[in-house]
Amino acid sequence: MVAKTGKKDGVIGVVLVTHGTFGESLLQAAEMVMGPQVNCLAVGIDVQKGVDEALEGVRKAIQSLEQGKGVLALTDLFGGSPTTMSLSLMKAENVEVITGVNLPMLVAALQGRTMKLHDLAEQAMVAGQQGIKVAGAMLRKKAKK
Amino acid sequence: MTLVRIDNRLIHGQIIETWLPYTGARTVIVANDELAHDILQQKIMSLAIPQAVKSSFVTVDEVPEAVTKLSSNSGEYAAIILFSNCSDARRAFDSGFGFHVLNIGNVHYSPGKRQISPSVALSDEDETCLRHLNKKGVELDFRCVPNDPVQVRF
Repeated sequence: MVAKTGKKDGVIGVVLVTHGTFGESLLQAAEMVMGPQVNCLAVGIDVQKGVDEALEGVRKAIQSLEQGKGVLALTDLFGGSPTTMSLSLMKAENVEVITGVNLPMLVAALQGRTMKLHDLAEQAMVAGQQGIKVAGAMLRKKAKK
Repeated sequence: MTLVRIDNRLIHGQIIETWLPYTGARTVIVANDELAHDILQQKIMSLAIPQAVKSSFVTVDEVPEAVTKLSSNSGEYAAIILFSNCSDARRAFDSGFGFHVLNIGNVHYSPGKRQISPSVALSDEDETCLRHLNKKGVELDFRCVPNDPVQVRF
């Protein structure tokens, strides 16, 4: 777990819940692009450990990020246990879950943290989807013109 | 094909991304006493299952009945039956759910258990259950995902 917390008042928390160290590395990549960030965390799920222990780790992370505006959980695989665990915390915590995290999604999530939780979730999802391009084909098309 | 599996995570990424396509299963039966009574957790777990695949959640005691119903409805059936631990699998077998191969996928480590592969750690009780099943003719298949080498060192 990598802690990135700061004292800025009332922003949405961002937690990456992923298989292994993917989230941690993704957060580092986002900081290369955007500079240091506050109130965000990466929690890696070790598939070899018990579910209850891992779930408590995710719960603690979410609670530590809550500043009254909710927490956005970005997970890797729809149907995977990091996603399932995050979803099971929705009942007790003010958290929204987005699956399929990528760098464009994370960057968008980190940029809009004074928004409403639901609106930020929509914006981050759209950014994640729009960041996927067959860029080589786009370039070839453009070069033909 | 039908897969009977022990996996402490029940439905998760490995099931959805590898075992479902590999087996061509059209049904997933989750046999777990706790989950059978937790509707919210059932909804969460089955959220990512493809629409063409049916899922059902039953108690361990209901497994023989659920499997009989499945085979009488669809004849030759392809299904995945999931247990979260060794003693549940043994209990279902002893109460009439006959199977020939048991896949042991994820049995997580806790103090006092013996790690026998990266994803499987067995307590004395787990081992007793597996030896019992093995004696009754059940083949033990220690694989986390389908293309793992079959590593029966038990």
